[in-house]
Parts: sequence; C-alpha cells; structure tokens
Amino acid sequence: MNSVNKYKIYRGAVAVGRWILFALVSFIILFPVYWIFISSITPPGELFKTPIDYLPDHPTLESYTFLIENVGLIQKIGNTVLIVGSTLVISTVLCSMAAYAFARFGSRGIGAAFGFIVATMLIPEVVTARPLYEFMRAVNLYDTYPGLILLYISTIIPFTVLILRNFVGEIPISLEEAAAIDGANFAQRLFTVVLPLMKPAIATVCIINFVTCLNNFFTPLFYSNGIQVLSVAIVQLPLRDNMYGVPWDLTSAMGWVILLPIIIFVAIFEKQIMDGIMAGGVKA
Amino acid sequence: MAVSKKSMRWIPWILILPVLLIRTFTTIYPIFVTIKNSFFDIRILAGVDDFVGFANYLKVFSDQKVITSITFTVIFTVVSMALHIVLGVMLALILNMKFKGRRFIRTIVLIPWAMPSVVIGMAAKWAFNNDYGLINDFIRWFVPGYQNSWLINTGSARAAVIAMDLWKDLPFFAILVLSGLQFVSEDIYEAARVDGANGIQCFFRITLPLIARNVLTLCIPFTLWRLTSFDLVYAMTSGGPGEDTALIAYRITMEAFTNLNIGYAGALAIMLFLVMAVFSWLNIRVTSRLAD
Repeated sequence: MNSVNKYKIYRGAVAVGRWILFALVSFIILFPVYWIFISSITPPGELFKTPIDYLPDHPTLESYTFLIENVGLIQKIGNTVLIVGSTLVISTVLCSMAAYAFARFGSRGIGAAFGFIVATMLIPEVVTARPLYEFMRAVNLYDTYPGLILLYISTIIPFTVLILRNFVGEIPISLEEAAAIDGANFAQRLFTVVLPLMKPAIATVCIINFVTCLNNFFTPLFYSNGIQVLSVAIVQLPLRDNMYGVPWDLTSAMGWVILLPIIIFVAIFEKQIMDGIMAGGVKA
Repeated sequence: MAVSKKSMRWIPWILILPVLLIRTFTTIYPIFVTIKNSFFDIRILAGVDDFVGFANYLKVFSDQKVITSITFTVIFTVVSMALHIVLGVMLALILNMKFKGRRFIRTIVLIPWAMPSVVIGMAAKWAFNNDYGLINDFIRWFVPGYQNSWLINTGSARAAVIAMDLWKDLPFFAILVLSGLQFVSEDIYEAARVDGANGIQCFFRITLPLIARNVLTLCIPFTLWRLTSFDLVYAMTSGGPGEDTALIAYRITMEAFTNLNIGYAGALAIMLFLVMAVFSWLNIRVTSRLAD
C-alpha cells in the first residue's frame, strides 16, 4: 500500500470517528427530550408499558387539555410572561444606567461600588433565604408581583452590570465629547449617543437573562405561594391514580410546554447566546 | 470634559443607586441577619428565641443528618467536577472540530443549559423508574430483563443525581472551555506537525497547557454552583432514599423552611459560605501562580 492510500484511509477513519462522536452527543441530549415529548402525547394509561412505545399508537392532547382546564396552565403562563417580561425591561434600564456610570466615572467610591456589586455574586441564595423571606413578609412584598419582580431583577443584576459595563468601556468617549461640543446635555448624550450603541450588548444580555429567569426556581418557590410560575407549577402537579409519586402524563406535558419555547429560542439565537456566554465567561 | 465637573459628582451615584439598593437589601442585609441568627436558638413553633453562642455550630459535628449531607455534597462536588473537567474538555474539542454539522451540534448543546433543573429533575425521577423509565428501557435494548430501582438504593441514587447534574451543566462547561480553545492559533499545531508531532502529543503538549489556566478558573464558579445545588435534588429525589442525596443546600432550606430551626439553619449556611469563600480564595491563589 502506498502512502497516499494510507493517508486517505486515515482521513476517512477520522471523518467516521467524528460523525460517531457527533451522533453520540446528539443522541444523549436529544433522546430524553424526544421521550418527554412523546410521553406528553401518549394517553396516560399507555405510559405504563414495557418496552416504551417510542411512536405512540394513539396520540392525544388529553394531558394538555387537563392542564388547561384543571391546573390553570394559561394563568401560569401569564404569570411567567408578566414576571419575566417586567424583569427584563426594568433590569435593562437600571443596569444600563449603572453600567454607564461604572464605565465613565472613575472615582474611588464608584469603583468600590462596582466591586461590591460583583462581590455580592458570591453570596449564595440559601444563606440569605430565611431572613429575606421574613423581610419580604414584613414589607408586604411576599407573594406579590412587584416583590417577585424585584427579586428576579436582583438575581441578574451582577451579571448584567458586569457585561454592560465592559461594553460601554469599549465605546470611544470622543463620540460623547463631540455631542457635548454640539451642546448636548448629559441626559441627551446618554440616551441619544450611548444607549443606541449599546443595543447589541443589551440584546445579548437580555437573551441570556431570559433563560436565567425562566430557569429561576428558588425565588418563586420560597417568596410566593399563590402566584405560580411554570418552574414551580411542574413540581406541584396533582397526583393521579399512580403509585409512583410522579404524574408523568401531566409532568411530561408541562415539561414540554416549558421546553418547546426554549428549544425554538435557542435555535434562533444560537450565535448571540454563544457570544454572550463567552463574553461573560460566567453566568450570574 | 463636562462629565468630570464638580457639580456633576452626584450624577453617577444617582445612576447606580437603584442597583446598589436592590443588592444591599437582597444580599448584604440578609447575610448579617443570618450571622446574627446563627448564635440564637430560634424555634418558631416552640416559641424559643435564646442566645446560645456557638452551640449551633458545634451541633453540626454530632448531627448524623448533616454529616450525611456534607458527605454527599463532597462526593457530588468532587466526582462531578472531575468528570466536568475530563468530559468537558473532550466535548469542547468535539465542538471545535471543523465540519458541516458544527452549527447544529452547537445549538443542541445549548438545550440542556437552557432547560430548568426542575424539569430535568422531574423527568429524571420518572426516567430512573424501574418498570417504566427511559434508562432501564434503554439498558434492556442490550441486557434483556434488566431490573434496577435506581432511586431506592443509596449508591445508584447518588450516581443518578450526579449523572443528571452532568447532563445539565457539562455542555455549558464545554462551551466555556471552547471559548478558550478558540484563542489557540492554528499555526502552533502546524509547526508541531512539521516537527513530526502526532495528535495525542499535540493535545498534551500544546492544547492542555494553553487552556489549563482557563479550565482551572472555570472550576471556581462551577464548584461553587455544585456546593449550592438545590433545584435538581429537590425535584428528583427530595433528598432520598432517607437523607442520602440531601445536598447541604437542600438540608439548609429544609431546616429553615420546613423544620423551622432558623438559628441552626443559619449556622449551617454561614459555615457553607465560609467554605465557599476559602475555596475561592485558594483557587484564585493557584490560578494566579499558574499565570507567572
């Protein structure tokens, strides 16, 4: 065998190995997700079958209609959209302002304040949970929309401020100086010069924060009771005629309600998410 | 420039005031209350609220439940992190390969990252069911008649929890390793190949030393997240069988919100926080030494 042939075989083996790895990774991630989907459209009775039917014979939306009629699915989706939406809008405004101040004003006090915001990232939620719970009750914010939104905002502040501040630092200050010479005051420079330039960074941060907020379980579990979001609702589904302690028909349907938008979202924003994760290095 | 004028000094403070206030009230204020609580014996139901000094801290060393929690938290963190590093670097190398399906696989690995841990936990609870779960069904493709009640036995329940933790966070770790890999220039590999280095040599002599510092730095937040992991175990095992998968964060919230031993929960929380602080400090020392 001559060396050209040997090289071809080597290249071929590498390509095959690559595709096997590729298929393996895809299978490990996608197969459970597929299993959740087909479970959600299988009639509850047929879930108790071995081996598992990976192509259900009688697909049905029964579990979804049960969730809508008896568990208040629509209202829980509404709660989630309201809380996550408000959190993103308010946190973007507050964090952009702060990021601008941190990037542009170099006094010692401001620098210390920035260090403080980043350092609070290290304080875990379990350490603050009980006193914060009592504080929220004392100021009548427990189990209220404003209270939940406030706590959701708090969880994403350090990450958002950090990313946006680094971005503002890269915007040349000469643009603002030019505007100042043209007579623009401070507010005008912030809103007409800097904010429009921050758009791509704000978009990236919002995309990551959207996922972080949807994933937030600790906050709605401990600081609300009547107001249920999707992540809490899935652990509090009613048990039905099943000795295993898992209403898998409803759990899989609720799981899929949460997963479908996430999968679509990830497919659309793959590039921004990658950039955001890599820019931040660390998720809040 | 106008920005630095004396009369403008208050402007940055106005801009940062809201985020400063929110973080102070949601993290600094409560952590001081937790420190204070940790020196008291507070039992709401019994109406007890007495100063006990370090008694809550000393109780930790004789409380079998907490010792079990600490043991599993250490196992969970060490095993999970070791696998994160080994498998995470491997997955990052796969993601870094140049081939047609690259964008597809990069999208796929984002799915576990974007899924809530509770959804994974609830699904895993059923997936590890002996009779109707996905895991045993899959194993039966190869081993007919396989039986194992994963979440009922300590060892397999702990392994299952660690496996699900990896499923969720490994892709995220790999993406962050990948961001370091992309800075490694192709030229270095070409030069090495010209000198006759093979793929394995290239990996151990070039890639690994260049990304080692990045990977170690990543280990700080990932280890801290393992130490405070709560959602997965809450949804998947509720700490069972017995207390064997009750991670320390789960134990603390149970003491604080279910058993209402607020002082004791406070002491546990403060000890956890101190461990995290010492770990971060040590790791920063090590990584900065590596940089020299």
